[in-house]
Formats: sequence, C-alpha cells, structure tokens
Amino acid sequence: MFHTILIIVFMSCLLISNVVGIRFVIDREECLSITVDYEGDTVYVSFVVIKAESPWHFTEDGVDLVIKGPSGDRVFDMHDKTSQKHDFIAHKKGLYHFCFTNKSPYHETIDFDVHVGHFAYHDQHAKDEHFKPLFDLIAKLEEALYNIQFEQHWLQAENDRQAVVNEKMGKRAVHKALIESAALIGASVLQVYLLQRLFERKLGLSRV
Amino acid sequence: MSKKTRVVLLQVILLLMLIILVQNGDCIWLNLPKSGRKCVTEEIHNNVVVLADYVVISDVHIHPTPSITTKVTSPYGSILHQKENATHGQFAFTTSEGGQYLVCFWADDPNQGGALSVNIDWRTGIAAKDWESVARKEKIEGVELELRKLEAAVEAIHDNLLYLKSREAEIREVSDTTNYRVALYSILSLGICIAASVAQLWYLTRFFQKKKLI
Repeated sequence: MFHTILIIVFMSCLLISNVVGIRFVIDREECLSITVDYEGDTVYVSFVVIKAESPWHFTEDGVDLVIKGPSGDRVFDMHDKTSQKHDFIAHKKGLYHFCFTNKSPYHETIDFDVHVGHFAYHDQHAKDEHFKPLFDLIAKLEEALYNIQFEQHWLQAENDRQAVVNEKMGKRAVHKALIESAALIGASVLQVYLLQRLFERKLGLSRV
Repeated sequence: MSKKTRVVLLQVILLLMLIILVQNGDCIWLNLPKSGRKCVTEEIHNNVVVLADYVVISDVHIHPTPSITTKVTSPYGSILHQKENATHGQFAFTTSEGGQYLVCFWADDPNQGGALSVNIDWRTGIAAKDWESVARKEKIEGVELELRKLEAAVEAIHDNLLYLKSREAEIREVSDTTNYRVALYSILSLGICIAASVAQLWYLTRFFQKKKLI
C-alpha cells in the first residue's frame, strides 16, 4: 500500500516542465541560460521583437539568435528574424545558452519564451502495471497543455508587436497628411512670391 | 539480499529521487553587466499570484559572493519589493493591476569586478499554485490531483484566449481608425492642393490686371 502511494506521489512530481516567459530590452548583445535536467528533453524556444525604440524606423531589422550547448557547441542559429519559433532535442544535460545579437543601432524589446518538456515515463521504475497506462496518458495530456500555453505566449507577443505597429501606422498617417499640406501651402506661397518679384523687376526695367 | 530488504531499498531510492526532483527548480540565468542595471519585464494580468526566487552566482569565484539590489515595480510605478545587499532572496505578491511589471537587478559594488549571473525562478498564476496544500485541504491524491492540475491549466488557457481576443479587438479598432484617417486626410490634402492652386491663379490674375498686362 505504501509502495503504491509512493509511486503515485513520485509520478505526480515527475512531470516537471520548465516554462519561462520574459521581456527584456536588448542593446547590443544579451545572453540567457537555462538548465536542462534530463537528456532527450525537447526544448521549445520562441522570441518576438516587440518594438524598436526609434520613431522613423521602417526597415524590418531583426535580431540574431545563437543557441549553444553545455560544452559550447553551436546547436542552432538564426539570423535577422523578427519572430521565430524553434524546437530541438537536447542530447546533453546542462546549461544551454541563448545569445541574442542586435545589429541595428536602436534598442529593441524582445519577448523570449523557453519551455523544456520532459517525458518521465521512459525511465520510471513503477512496478504497479495497473496505473502505468493511465499515468502515461496524463503525462501526454499535460505535455500537450504546456505546449498550448507556450504557443499562446508566442501568439500574445506577436499580437503586442502588431499593436505597436498599428499605432505607429495611425500616427504616421496623420503626420504625413499634415506635413504634406504644410509643404504644399509653403510651395505655392513661394511660387507666387517669386513670380511676383520676377514680373515686377521685368516691368520695372521695361517701363523706366 | 532478501526480498524485503530489496523492497525497502527500492522505496528509499524512490523517496530520495522524489526529494531530489522536488528541489529542482525551473530557472533562467541572467548575466548582469558590471555597471548599470539589468531589467526584465513581464505582462501580468490583474489578480494573479507571482512567486519568484533569485540566487546570485559569481562567474569568477570571489568570496564573499557580491551582493545585488533587487527592485520590483508595478505598472503604475509603486515599488512592490526592494532589497539591497542580498545574494539570494524571494518575493511574492498578488497583482492588483494589469500591465508591465518590471524587475531590476544591479550590483551593489560596481568595483568588485567579475561577471555576475543571477538565477531567477519566476512563477506566475497557475505555476505559482501550491498544489500540496490544495491536496491536503481537499484530501485528494494521485490521479485526481493530476486531473485537477490539468483542469486548472485548461482554465488558464481559456482565460488567456479570451484576453487575446480582446487584444485583437483593440488592434482591429485601431486599424479601422487608421483606415478612416488615411481616407479623410488624403481628401483633405487634395482639397488643400486644389485650393492653393485656385488661390494662386486668383492672386496672379489680380496682379497682372493691376499691372495692366491683361
């Protein structure tokens, strides 16, 4: 009886998934690290550049991401992306480093999310065969739900990015119209003034 | 080894593994710059429990470990937690307003040198729920507890989806306003262009008539 209870309690603690979602401002380079506790875990990583801190920024510069393993080996890298999702299987356990590089001269806000999914039922030693299939299914369900939460976080960050772009677009439309009108009025006043001066000079010369 | 000894040994091993696994935390490592501060923000809704735990590790093994100052600010500027001269600490609060919460770290003594790493264990909302106390209070265990956790996770996902829907509605509204504004201001610009040319024509005609050229 004690054995069964211990197995049950043990199983309920095996589904440890690391989920982290933070937002930070990057200047030139920023590195974050995360520990992966078991070999064979799948690491899901996503990032979205929320906004660039400059008023007239119109090129879609992204950031670079380099993922390095515990022994310094390069696991994956991607260049000039404003939003990306990626997953890989961690073959070694230890500290994985995620380094962002910002190539544009402005500060950018990046929303970063990483989720380490671990399936514990590969290596548990439960002798009680009656509970095994049920716990397997519960473990799969929990993993799927964590995955959904991870995707939702990425979707939320993309939404935030769109909100910022939208607001900028609205302001830009108004600014453009005002500056255009001012330039038009200024140009026509200048035209009239120059023509008036030209004719006055010509008339002055011919009449004298 | 007799069968009974083996069973006891197995139970001890399982208990030890349980203890080790429970002590493993979810964490992320940040590198602190030597001068200046490192800030992270997170968008948190109203009425959400936040638990966090931080530990400072020095890359170059300096004794004693350099201490840092931590500051947690709410979206409206009120300071929720501030602690100086600490190498580890924790804070917990329930949010009373939704928005961007800012957590800043900086080294107390910038001259102490060496790069610092801070390990943050940051849990919000459903991840911060204390399932042990819920299990004890409601006297549930095993499969029922797991399913209860999954039910809470599904509710959190549903709430998140509703929030995403409302954000998307805001974006759509701004989009519609921008569309209307672009149309309005384009017609206005065209109107000003026509008015300027008409004014020019009128002024120059009057000028030439005055100078008896027309």
